[in-house]
Amino acid sequence: MKSASVPIDQATPAVHLRDVRVRRGERIILDSLTFSVGRGEIYALLGGNGAGKSTAIATILGFLPYAGGAVRVCGDDPARDGYRVRGHIAYLPENVALYEHLTAVENIAYFLAVAGQRRSPDAVMAALNSSGLQAEAHERRLVGFSKGMRQKVAIALAILREVPVFLLDEPTSGLDPSASSDFNALLLRLRNAGAAIVMVTHDLLGVVDCADRIGFLESGRIADEAVASGPDRFDLRELHARYGKRVLAA
Amino acid sequence: MTPLILIAREKWRLMRRNRVAVIALALVLLLSTIAAVTSVAQQAETAALRAHFQQEADAAFAAQPSRHPHRMVHFGQFAFKPVEPLAAFDPGVDPFTGTAIFLEGHRQNSANFGDVRQSSLLVRFGQLTPAFVLQILAPLILIFLGFGAVARERDGGTLVQLRAHGMTIAALLTGKAIALGAIGGLILVPAGAALAWMVVVHGASLPAATLLLASYTLYLAIWVGGVILASAIMRQARSALILLVGAWLTTAILVPRMAPDIAGAVQSLPTRLESEVAVTRDYRAIGDSHDPNDPHFAAFRTAVLKKYNVARVEDLPVNYAGLLAVEGERLSAELFARYADQLFAQEARQSDIMNRFALVSPTAAIRQASMALADTDRAAHRRFLGQAEAFRYDLVQRLNMLEATDVTAENDAKGDDPATETLSRVSQDHWRSMPTFHPRPSGIETRAKGAGPALGYLVGWLLAIGACLLFAGRRMGNGR
Repeated sequence: MKSASVPIDQATPAVHLRDVRVRRGERIILDSLTFSVGRGEIYALLGGNGAGKSTAIATILGFLPYAGGAVRVCGDDPARDGYRVRGHIAYLPENVALYEHLTAVENIAYFLAVAGQRRSPDAVMAALNSSGLQAEAHERRLVGFSKGMRQKVAIALAILREVPVFLLDEPTSGLDPSASSDFNALLLRLRNAGAAIVMVTHDLLGVVDCADRIGFLESGRIADEAVASGPDRFDLRELHARYGKRVLAA
Repeated sequence: MTPLILIAREKWRLMRRNRVAVIALALVLLLSTIAAVTSVAQQAETAALRAHFQQEADAAFAAQPSRHPHRMVHFGQFAFKPVEPLAAFDPGVDPFTGTAIFLEGHRQNSANFGDVRQSSLLVRFGQLTPAFVLQILAPLILIFLGFGAVARERDGGTLVQLRAHGMTIAALLTGKAIALGAIGGLILVPAGAALAWMVVVHGASLPAATLLLASYTLYLAIWVGGVILASAIMRQARSALILLVGAWLTTAILVPRMAPDIAGAVQSLPTRLESEVAVTRDYRAIGDSHDPNDPHFAAFRTAVLKKYNVARVEDLPVNYAGLLAVEGERLSAELFARYADQLFAQEARQSDIMNRFALVSPTAAIRQASMALADTDRAAHRRFLGQAEAFRYDLVQRLNMLEATDVTAENDAKGDDPATETLSRVSQDHWRSMPTFHPRPSGIETRAKGAGPALGYLVGWLLAIGACLLFAGRRMGNGR
């Protein structure tokens, strides 16, 4: 178990995948997957079911070995040193998994302790407030929490990890429009603070407001990439026409 | 705080906040305490009762009036099996084997008055003793408290979260095992206290009690490992529960109950009637001491005459009838010993067959180890029977020698006539000088040797479970 205080080389990309291949038996799940995410950048990995999104996450976290290519998270290889890599990453799964017999504050304290970290009660309260969880829910056990409320607890936990990389799996799924908007605002704040954020989703409309770049994942590889600023800034109508229907249909 | 303790503490917090778990644990602890208290009290009462009966029997023997020694041979003596203090922990075969033997000349009686025969049928289904609670109920509570230890983390998605936060699978499995192991330790507390009480107050063997506690710790560690293993390899908590309850039913209930039946079918023992018929037949074949042409007794008479350097029995300085009684008892005792050895050998083969069931059931293994260490197994009963037989033989031969030395042949012949019968009597002072029965409990070496194979199986079980956990952990670490 490793805390987030691992020294990071600021020059290297926070997340870098080059020609990554992952197989399951005879089936190729990721096929020459290549993308990089720098510090202070939000990268949305967009794809339909079966495109390889979950496999990409598992590979970055070091849960799955890759058969070829290279993966680096803050310069470390998850296949060789998964535990060190996971010390760089705050992972927010699609279905937030927390303990129902614990309160929001207890859940955060526990997972922080698992990660070898400790935060003051004030810092925990502040993180929960900034994630948007009502104060009266901070000391309540999670039984009866909605998906959105759990998501907010998990976001507070991710913030408190103070890590350079955030790995988000369908982060706005299940959130109402207002909560989604708040969440996007929070992501932008994290990005501005220098975090590298990888967001895996199939929700094109949900990412256009916050992503700096969007990678379109098809059959385990980046089929196309769009950028949010500069002369090559993406055109939402054109993107939707090209990918939206296919992604949404999937 | 180390990851192991962190995981363990979290598991304890979950159990504390789960009312069902708290109630179940409290019930087992209560049962364990009740079992310990009632068993110790019952053991003390039984021990006092048997000691009282033995004193009464000794007093009755010593209080017999002056009479012919051979009448005392048939008056006999009762030997009561003393209660080993650790029998309160595990009564073993004691309730089934009988606790009192009538010792007399020319016969080797078996023990009678087993508690099971004196009690209701319910006793046959297992007394509430600390051994029963630890062997049968403790694994069940460990199953109910631990089946979801890893499986629920997987079901709920927290396993991925824990790993994403840097928790290793090895730390997770070990932490869960520590948490469940602590519950096992808690369950052991009443039993440990009862053992300490038996050692301090009732003089039980400290090494045996310590080994007993260590054996049960090993046994519960196997279940803890097994529960965590099932929870780790099954995809769902419900599947883990079904697997574990099935394993408990098979290894803790079915196998130990079936083992004696299977051993009995493979190696049958002669019935009591068959044994008695065979012994009686061979006893008659030994010879007739009253027949002057009986080859054995004719040779015996010649040897006696030669030894005393006389030509006729009437010239012997001792009563020849007494010497005949000594020789007759020697021959019959040899016969009894031969039959007893045959029976013990058959029982040993049965025990060997039963012991092999420890390979498929840790409960069968702990039962064997527990009874051996408590000195309440079949071997311990055999040792008691051996001591009782040695005492019987010594007592009868002393009385026979009394007839040879203190009753003249002339007076001995007058014993059948009521008018002169008093001449054949010897002083009642002799009865008081006869030894009394004080069987020795088995030493720690004997008990440890008896428990050795079963303890070996338990260690094997623990190593096998540990290896499986290691393998399961690696598999979990390689997957998502």
